[in-house]
Amino acid sequence: MSQQPVFSCSDVHVYVADREVVKGVDLTVPAGEIHAIMGPNGSGKSSLVSAIAGHPAFTLTGQLFLDGEEISELEPDEKARRGLFLAFQYPVAIPGVTVGSFLRAAVSARRGQDVPVREFRRELQAAMEALEMDRSFAGRYLNDGFSGGEKKRLEILQLLLLQPRFAMLDETDSGLDIDALRIVAGGINQAARGGEMGTLIVTHYQRLLNYVEPHVVHVFINGRIVRSGGPELALELEARGYDWLQPEAAAAGGVS
Amino acid sequence: MASATKADATLAGVVSVEAVAALSAAARESEALRARRLEAVRLLEGMTLPHRARHLWRYTDPARFLPSADLTAPAPTEVTSQWRRDDEVVGVALVAGGVVQRVELAEEAREKGVTLANLHASPAEALAHLGTAVPADHGFIETLNTAAWRGGLLLHVPAGVRLDRPLRLRFAAPPAGSLALPRVLVLAGRHASCEVIEGHGGGGAGAQVLGVTEVLLEEGAEVRYSLVQKWEPGVLGHLTAYAHLGPRSRFTMATAVFGGALAKTDVGATLAGEGAESEIYGVTFGGETQHFDHHTEHRHLAGRTRSNLDTRVVVTDAAHSAYTGLIRIAPEAAGCEAYQENRNLLLSPHARAESIPELEISNEDVRCTHGATVAPLDPEQLFYLGSRGLPRNQAHRLIVFGFLGQTLARLPEATRERLEAMVAARLHGD
Ligand SMILES: Nc1ncnc2c1ncn2[C@@H]1O[C@H](COP(=O)(O)OP(=O)(O)OP(=O)(O)O)[C@@H](O)[C@H]1O
Ligand SMILES: [Mg+2]
Repeated sequence: MSQQPVFSCSDVHVYVADREVVKGVDLTVPAGEIHAIMGPNGSGKSSLVSAIAGHPAFTLTGQLFLDGEEISELEPDEKARRGLFLAFQYPVAIPGVTVGSFLRAAVSARRGQDVPVREFRRELQAAMEALEMDRSFAGRYLNDGFSGGEKKRLEILQLLLLQPRFAMLDETDSGLDIDALRIVAGGINQAARGGEMGTLIVTHYQRLLNYVEPHVVHVFINGRIVRSGGPELALELEARGYDWLQPEAAAAGGVS
Repeated sequence: MASATKADATLAGVVSVEAVAALSAAARESEALRARRLEAVRLLEGMTLPHRARHLWRYTDPARFLPSADLTAPAPTEVTSQWRRDDEVVGVALVAGGVVQRVELAEEAREKGVTLANLHASPAEALAHLGTAVPADHGFIETLNTAAWRGGLLLHVPAGVRLDRPLRLRFAAPPAGSLALPRVLVLAGRHASCEVIEGHGGGGAGAQVLGVTEVLLEEGAEVRYSLVQKWEPGVLGHLTAYAHLGPRSRFTMATAVFGGALAKTDVGATLAGEGAESEIYGVTFGGETQHFDHHTEHRHLAGRTRSNLDTRVVVTDAAHSAYTGLIRIAPEAAGCEAYQENRNLLLSPHARAESIPELEISNEDVRCTHGATVAPLDPEQLFYLGSRGLPRNQAHRLIVFGFLGQTLARLPEATRERLEAMVAARLHGD
């Protein structure tokens, strides 16, 4: 089957503060697949996903395709309305803006029309229940005074409501306690359940992958994908760390 | 006249004894009131324009508020502001062209002995309170106003009377090249309660407005006051509004400053009675080349008094805002609390804001905090909202409303909605 992938990119380089931090990445994620990216601190994982989403601090070269359309020149909000989603490693607080009003604006933007208040409230409640979030969160200010785990839960709440085509989740599992991890993983699985969405999970730990099983695991070192494999690759990393892959990273670096 | 624009220029002759006497006679004022005006004229004779180095005038040239028109010339009678029916209020008054054009007070308020009237013809016992919250020598603008104010309003809410709907006092700024000197005196008797919305609008290019408002609260009184300024773009105006608080009285001031080319405000409260509480909330939104200069003051003279202040400023284009805020605690004022916060949001690289908090604390037994910030839009916040599909202008709007929201929430509902619409309209061009 030569079905068109939800997301693909080719020869992506990312520069930040005059440094090249992503050094040529090709990736293809078909609908219904979950890919995991694992790699040491500072290897460029967040830079890659932030730059794909259009963060202004990063300069990106190369091509990005979302549902077959080249999107690298689009503004972040245009990409998002077409179905690109990033769950932030460090979500920012916006005091004075309530979670409820923000979410309704975001959902309306994604769907291209205002969502009626009652319909929105119903959807919001269902999604919050799925993530075992207290209703009072809707009235709180966006990420303002949220605990680390609460912020991550709110990112996944947005994933459920926005129903993106391609979701990039940057360390959504870090900072979560054991119960929260299970709940958040349930949210990711629920979003992916339809088989329509492509997912890219950036993580350091196998523990999330116990709940959300990846189809493909990529090892990311020094700005490059140095190896890709099945779920067993994550287990191997857990057992052996990254050192054994450093020669491959060096080799990959030596070529360019 | 030309020499009067120099920094050390004398203010003698800016207004003459004859002109003030004539103005007072024409308004059929009492002897006592006329004497008070003439005293202010004499005070002016010994005054000079404040030096720019003095902190209240660090950011604004005081000479721009020197009357450019003869301030006792016959007032233009053209009423630019429309009379509007307003069922949300219990009383409404309109002042335009230096004249009280109209006053309406609901039967229910009149029955309770509430007075809303022309200040020129007010009874001596009311007029005796003039100068309590804003003395004639508060500053040269207040001296000028005391000498030559025209189009004044008195609101008196007698002891024990509680009004549950607001009163609206509306002031139309004059046409191009003329001057207005409005004055408001609010007297809230023991345990009286009321809400007042003082609105300023209209005005032509170069018109000047030098207004003074005094609010006096007797023991246990409660006054919620809003000062809403929406002048047309060319107006130069200075509004002074102070409250004087008796024991256990409560004062809440919400200022909304939007209009004018040059708008300076001096807003504050003197907590003179034990256990008095004052809160001041301010919202300013400006663009183009507007210049704002705000000063606030909370003066704690009595023990166990409490004050809170939160002012928010948003400037875009090449607008400029300066803020100075003073908390003063007298030696005998023990057990006080005073909080002050001023935040400024810059929406364009050419917009500027300054913020200077000042404390003068002469009693050890106090709790006092103050904070000030000046910051551009946070690119991380913008990216976060953008990554959720919100276009740039909508993201701006959300952040700005979030920034102003808590303060806007302090305004009466109807006023708040109108101001939100104004902010939204001005953000639209973003
Ligand atoms: N805004 C920035 N300015 C300067 N350098 C940056 C910026 N963002 C990232 N970097 C640098 O780019 C490199 C890659 O960082 P990045 O955050 O992408 O790593 P990461 O793989 O996500 O690491 P971690 O696992 O710790 O989250 C690091 O050296 C980092 O210091
Ligand atoms: Mg990272």
